[in-house]
Amino acid sequence: MKFTKTLAMAATAAMMATGAFAQDIAVIAGSVEDAFMDKIKKGVDDATHMVEANGGSVQYLRTQNYENFGPDLVTLINQAVAQGVDGIAIPVWVPDAQIPALQSAAAEGIKIMQYNSGLPVKADIGAINYFGSDEYAAGFGGGKYLAEKGAKHILCHIQVPGAINLTERCKGVTDGAAEAGAKVTILETPPNLDGDVTGTAEALKAEFIGDQSIDAMVSCADFGAAAGANAVEQTGLDVMVSAFDFSPATLERIKAGTQTMAIDQQPYLQGFLATSMLFAHLKFGTEISTDPVLTGPAIVDASNVEAVVAGAALGAR
Amino acid sequence: MEQIKSLFYRPSAAAVVALLSVTVFYIFAGVEFGKLMGAASWVNYAARIGIVALPVCLLMVAGEIDISIGAMIPAGAMTTAIISGHFELSMIFGIIGALSVGVIVGVINGILAIRTNVPTLIITLATLVGMQGVVLAGSKLLTGSASVPLTAPDWAKTLFGQFMFGGSHQVIIIWWVVLAVVFWFFLHMSKYGNWIFAMGGDKESARNAGIPVNRMTVLLFVLTSTSATFVGMCHAILFNSAQVSGGMNDIFNIIVSVVVGGVLLTGGFGTVFGVFVGTLTFAVVNKGIDFTAIDRNWANLIIGAMLLIAVAMNESFRAFALRASVGKKGATPEPTPEKAT
Amino acid sequence: MSSSTQNAKAKVSFGRLIRLPETGSFIGFVVVYIFFAILGGAVFVGAPGWSSWLNIAAEVGIIALPVGLLMIAGEFDISVGSIVPASSMTVAMLSGHYDLPATVGILGGLAVGISIGFVNGLLVTRTTIPSLIVTIGVMFAVMGLTLGFAVLLKGSTSVSYVPHPTAKFLLGQFINYMFSVAIFWWLAFVAFFFYILHISPLGNWIFAVGGDRESARNAGIPTSKVTIGLFMASGFCAAFVGVAQVMTYQQAQVAGGQSFIFNSIMCVVIGGVLLTGGAGSIIGILLGTMTFAVVNQGVFFAALDPNTGSIIVGALLLIAVVSNDSFRKFAISAASKKT
Repeated sequence: MKFTKTLAMAATAAMMATGAFAQDIAVIAGSVEDAFMDKIKKGVDDATHMVEANGGSVQYLRTQNYENFGPDLVTLINQAVAQGVDGIAIPVWVPDAQIPALQSAAAEGIKIMQYNSGLPVKADIGAINYFGSDEYAAGFGGGKYLAEKGAKHILCHIQVPGAINLTERCKGVTDGAAEAGAKVTILETPPNLDGDVTGTAEALKAEFIGDQSIDAMVSCADFGAAAGANAVEQTGLDVMVSAFDFSPATLERIKAGTQTMAIDQQPYLQGFLATSMLFAHLKFGTEISTDPVLTGPAIVDASNVEAVVAGAALGAR
Repeated sequence: MEQIKSLFYRPSAAAVVALLSVTVFYIFAGVEFGKLMGAASWVNYAARIGIVALPVCLLMVAGEIDISIGAMIPAGAMTTAIISGHFELSMIFGIIGALSVGVIVGVINGILAIRTNVPTLIITLATLVGMQGVVLAGSKLLTGSASVPLTAPDWAKTLFGQFMFGGSHQVIIIWWVVLAVVFWFFLHMSKYGNWIFAMGGDKESARNAGIPVNRMTVLLFVLTSTSATFVGMCHAILFNSAQVSGGMNDIFNIIVSVVVGGVLLTGGFGTVFGVFVGTLTFAVVNKGIDFTAIDRNWANLIIGAMLLIAVAMNESFRAFALRASVGKKGATPEPTPEKAT
Repeated sequence: MSSSTQNAKAKVSFGRLIRLPETGSFIGFVVVYIFFAILGGAVFVGAPGWSSWLNIAAEVGIIALPVGLLMIAGEFDISVGSIVPASSMTVAMLSGHYDLPATVGILGGLAVGISIGFVNGLLVTRTTIPSLIVTIGVMFAVMGLTLGFAVLLKGSTSVSYVPHPTAKFLLGQFINYMFSVAIFWWLAFVAFFFYILHISPLGNWIFAVGGDRESARNAGIPTSKVTIGLFMASGFCAAFVGVAQVMTYQQAQVAGGQSFIFNSIMCVVIGGVLLTGGAGSIIGILLGTMTFAVVNQGVFFAALDPNTGSIIVGALLLIAVVSNDSFRKFAISAASKKT
């Protein structure tokens, strides 16, 4: 059974290799353990149907985790180039490391499509488009929203110190809040607390108690919202909980009122559009005149949560 | 036939078999062999782990273990980036800085190992945790950020951090091969190698036989720590930046590579060649899945299964070899209890 | 003559107290607590501080207990890091995604932990592979299975679950707002394992297996059964923590369990358990866990950079082990003097 399968695959490979009709693209993404990346993957998987129907192929390359994400991303870029792809869709989290690698990939004629992160360096890379959120704009919108809801002192929580997109978010939060008259404190938790809800909850609790002027928080990760909600529950203090991105549990919290809002960048769209539009550009020569295409920020709060729940159940939101 | 059988008795046999089986498995799973060979990702990955796995092999043969390497790799990267990137001192200082940090921590590990009765797993766990904190706190204190950029001069890039052969193979691969030869010579051809095996067998007997056990222990720890900071330094030069990280994965990956390579956790047994092959095997397992149609989500399952199978093979081959040698010589090869008096 | 005997008795009991291995751990805890109390002020010494580190201690403590017993028996269990998310995902899938009753979900999660522990025990006793390697391999495999099945069945690596009120009350509630109910479960586990290790004959067996496996077997102790049982216990406890987490935070995620691996080892070691096996105590593990948690949380109350917490834990580990080492020599010397 395996043997015939191998034969079939070898035959297909031979047939594919002869034609210059195959457009192969590589989509590079973050750790599969990250629930956020899952939604991106669903978008990529859905777009892969369309790609394969038109004779192309999609390679989904991901980092194992975020322990070493700079070098890992560069390694994946080189791997994609070595695999002979025609296009690469990639988020830029570490410009210093990724730009040289992407530039040399572009020099070989590979088209680069950016998504999710790195809008400021798009010109240096020469990407054909960008699908994602402007991290700064997302933060700005979130900070302004909280300040307009009455927050005076917002805590911005970063769970992966060193990730430029998260730093951009909190910068945006700071400026957006300032515009509506609120101040922002940034809390960077050590990397070993990444994903640790209990540890982060206790850390946030300590911050809330230590500085009782804090009346709102926004976390750069969804699990931070769970931790924040728990810290509020424990202390009984009046702190508005919010976060970037969301999960089904977040929607439950927004419905129940224990979370104020989530800033959505619609990762499904990022994965779907980056993959399908890159392929369409390679195969059909199409180009979108809106450049960049912003998939966020979109604020999800009590007013629109119901509409989102259906999509979340299907793993797309 | 006898010659073929005797090949299987070599300590590195299982590692070679593991590498071959893994390659065959992936070919059946749909890997295009040409593409796999052309892609450098797994060789680059192997070199990163491999350079540290070599001295760890020696250390484990001597009966000790070092898990602080997980924090030493980012420590080396950060030191180089902070000295030469943030403070903009000459590249030479960055290199010396990174290697010195390795030497210092290695000496600390070594002295604690010889002065106390504390098992080295715990000592190096303590230095691991401590260094994680030092690197992160230090980078925040000195640069205000957890990610530090570095632009290295051309000569540094050529030596330590560039892509050769059309842009995908890292020069660190050459370092790995060179160091492998050096360590092979050290362990298998020089008298120091005999000392290391003796220490792994029985420390007290080794000391009584006149081997400078304490000095060798400290030396071995210095080698592991420094090779880790060296790898970190090369990466900072290659990728133009350094980030703080936990380094937990590297620890498991290195131990796995060394054990698959045939080194006994209890000491006294192992080969450099085996560890070299074990590292290649682990890299192929890890990276090869990207070339197959298997859903990436199952990647860790494959890694775990292959690790267990490879190590089980190691154990059976070793038992195989011991039984054969018993049969051939007609006497027990194990150290007999009577000797202990 | 009577007065000198009385004096001798008094001297012996005080001397014995100092020489208990737990004394070192207790002194360590007190020193660390005072240090952070000074830095953290009234807030740390009050309910928020206590609840903070007790909550952390409970979670890692429940896992540290059987991990400690395994270390006394001379084995390691690295796979606990993957069992926690595996069990919480199982609960969330069964009761959240498939809407089965809470009891089924909880039992499912615990069963996952026990089975993985059983596999660990089997591999360790049936092959000559060291437990460190076996459990690393199993850890990878379980991580892969958890992720694979989550995406296969649910299409996502994060599953939400609104627990049944009784389940939440038993496992995920906060008493007086800040003290997690897990703390009480932890103390119950402490009592249980104390009985096992220090009162029941099983405890002697565990010490014997850790001291010298061959001699233990020759003495008639079912070493394989003891080992497998211990691995199942650590699997169970890790699964229990996973279940409690789902009940508390109403979601399960695939990542996030790795920290328990080394944290539990650190608690055990600070608590005086020898790595080489054969010695240790439950009270010691309890104190070690509390010390670890105080340092971990104390940094946040003391307005120190949280990363200094790691530096302190590292130093603490070394001090604890070195001093435990000296205390042990102390104790042995006292014992030999008496004879």
